[in-house]
Amino acid sequence: MARQATRSQRQPQASQSQPPRGTQGGRSRRSRANDEDEDEEMASGHEGGEQEEIAAEKVQAELDRKARDLVRLALFHEQRRTALKRDEISKKVLGSNSRSFNAVFAAANGILRNTFGMELVELHSTTPDKDISEKDAEMLKAAGAKKKATATGTKNYILRSLLDAALIEKASAPDAEIRELEQSEHPDANEEFAEDDNKVGTRSIGSIFAWHHADQLASVGILYVILALILVEGRVISDNDLRAILKRLQLPANAPIPLSSQTTTQSQTIDAHLAQLTRQGFLEKARVGNGARKGTKRGRGGAGAANDDGTLAAYEWRWGPRALAEVGERAVAQFVAEFMAARPGEDDADEDAVGASQEEGVQKRVQIVFRGIERAASGAPLADVR
Amino acid sequence: MGVSSADVQRLFLQAILSRRILSQKLAAKIWEKCIDAVKEANETVDIEYRADRNSWDNFVTSVNEALNPLDLEFAHLHDEVSGKEMYAVVNRKGDEIAQLATEYTATEIAYFKAVLEQIMLAPNESFCVSAMACLREVNSLKTNMTKSQAETTLSSFVARGWLLKSKLGRYSLSTRTVLELQIYLRNTYEGELLDCTICMELVTRGIACYTNQCKTRMHTHCFNNFKRRHHQCPSCSQSWTEANLAKLRPVGEPAYREGQDLNQRRARRKSTGDDDEDEEDEEERDYENGDDAEPEPSQSQPAATQQKSKGKRKAAREASEEAEEQEESPPPQTQTQRRRSSRR
Repeated sequence: MARQATRSQRQPQASQSQPPRGTQGGRSRRSRANDEDEDEEMASGHEGGEQEEIAAEKVQAELDRKARDLVRLALFHEQRRTALKRDEISKKVLGSNSRSFNAVFAAANGILRNTFGMELVELHSTTPDKDISEKDAEMLKAAGAKKKATATGTKNYILRSLLDAALIEKASAPDAEIRELEQSEHPDANEEFAEDDNKVGTRSIGSIFAWHHADQLASVGILYVILALILVEGRVISDNDLRAILKRLQLPANAPIPLSSQTTTQSQTIDAHLAQLTRQGFLEKARVGNGARKGTKRGRGGAGAANDDGTLAAYEWRWGPRALAEVGERAVAQFVAEFMAARPGEDDADEDAVGASQEEGVQKRVQIVFRGIERAASGAPLADVR
Repeated sequence: MGVSSADVQRLFLQAILSRRILSQKLAAKIWEKCIDAVKEANETVDIEYRADRNSWDNFVTSVNEALNPLDLEFAHLHDEVSGKEMYAVVNRKGDEIAQLATEYTATEIAYFKAVLEQIMLAPNESFCVSAMACLREVNSLKTNMTKSQAETTLSSFVARGWLLKSKLGRYSLSTRTVLELQIYLRNTYEGELLDCTICMELVTRGIACYTNQCKTRMHTHCFNNFKRRHHQCPSCSQSWTEANLAKLRPVGEPAYREGQDLNQRRARRKSTGDDDEDEEDEEERDYENGDDAEPEPSQSQPAATQQKSKGKRKAAREASEEAEEQEESPPPQTQTQRRRSSRR
């Protein structure tokens, strides 16, 4: 059903997309060709239209090819977990004809949707349109940015799953059968091969998606905790506070993060991890106070410390655009609420007897915590992914 | 976006992309679970999982119909160790875009290629290389890589399924590498490759006929099937009866001779023209010496090559430079925060 829908969507997209490639002339030529086609059919003659039809087909073929290239680029690039820059798309896919971007982008998204259930989305800069704080407005002015309320696009793109949330949840749930097969096929189970001493990231729960294989789970876990902390602190947390809380979680600045053998990094500290998350766009670090004006080095994280002009600068952390697009405030709030509502040890109590009412109680607690987080985040209501 | 039957394939592809390479058995199980998940999410969806091979093949065909226009393929190959059928999404085009298909840095890819070269050119058809020889390869890189960084990188190659590491610490090709880099391997090591006489796929572990000059090579699993019904070599008709089976020569790690890669470094120019043929012949002669003139002490080999090792080394450097320039479908991917941050 959905496939049909998207497929039929694709056709119009494709034909729309011709003008940019063939420039203005292309469009009128094409529509003329169409008209002529119809006319000719009636007049039972079809000589003139043919050539132009071929030209139009060429344009179409070129567009399709570029769309496929963009799909490849997006899929490959995603493995680096950094955003795909529009410049890179222009350079690698569009070549000389960068004006066809919109058409190619739309066609590529059609393929991604249909084939992989994914989409390329542009990251938006972090400040919500409505309440651009004074400080930020000032900053924008200082940076010479035009005051366009809606123009918050960053020209950075990430790949995002479009599958239904219910489906994703099921695909992330443990499954004994898959797990058993996975275990028996693991190289460590084969006597001929050396065992990997590093067990991090080798344990599978047998879900349809192999998260343990595709990601550094410990790093992601720490990221989500940090996102949660920022959210409940009112969407911004001072560097000092964040460090203090992390320390309490046994994660001081130099604590090593467990990494699976897949990485080529020998070890990574919390500090390095924070810098990396900033670079990837999950977090934003900004200088507050005196240095604020020149201090916002978006996407450059640790680099800010370098131009420290002697005064001890204070920093604060916010969600980065990628976190807003990939995780979403509501999801993190839900995650926190469910975590807070679950009382360890309760599961063991005789479930059958109080099962139903207990379930209700948990739900209620989840809601209460969720509303609490919403209040704590202060200001705009919690945003879904965008 | 509601859940529909078309989501089975999308979910499946996402699952495959998260795993990279997996057995047919596991892939089919995941397909079944994808169908279950879609049906749970939308009860009106009416699809049935069928466990028979035909249905699976049809499903693979339909997956490939979606992937092929993108120059990707859901390809399969028999694992040389277990004989199991393995599936992976493979890139079939080595364009500029594909060069991004990796989380490894340029240096790490150059290192991978250097190690690959040692494996491909290993003497005695052993197709494996010791950890020592691997670490030595950092010297062939244009950029600096410490030995400990090389160790981490090697274990990353293993963890991501690009290389296999044996109990004895030797590295060899994985099914993933053979599957994904087949075109690169065939182009680069045309003269060094062995094809299975039975299934025509690349052999890096298996058996070889014991007749001099006989070209018969077989995967272990192909051989196991073959010997049930046949008792002579398919090429030279040499008798392969029970008594003679022990004479068959191994291909792969069992053919490795202690110290074979300790003192020498093998490398060859990319075969771009005729002028390479000499070198190729040389290599072949090396093999023959080692293989056929059995008693030749293994030490003599390094000695023989030592004289020309200087020239070879130079050739190797050139080769790796060349390789770096025209990267085919570069391998592996991993997060490389450190290095990247230091580069910025």
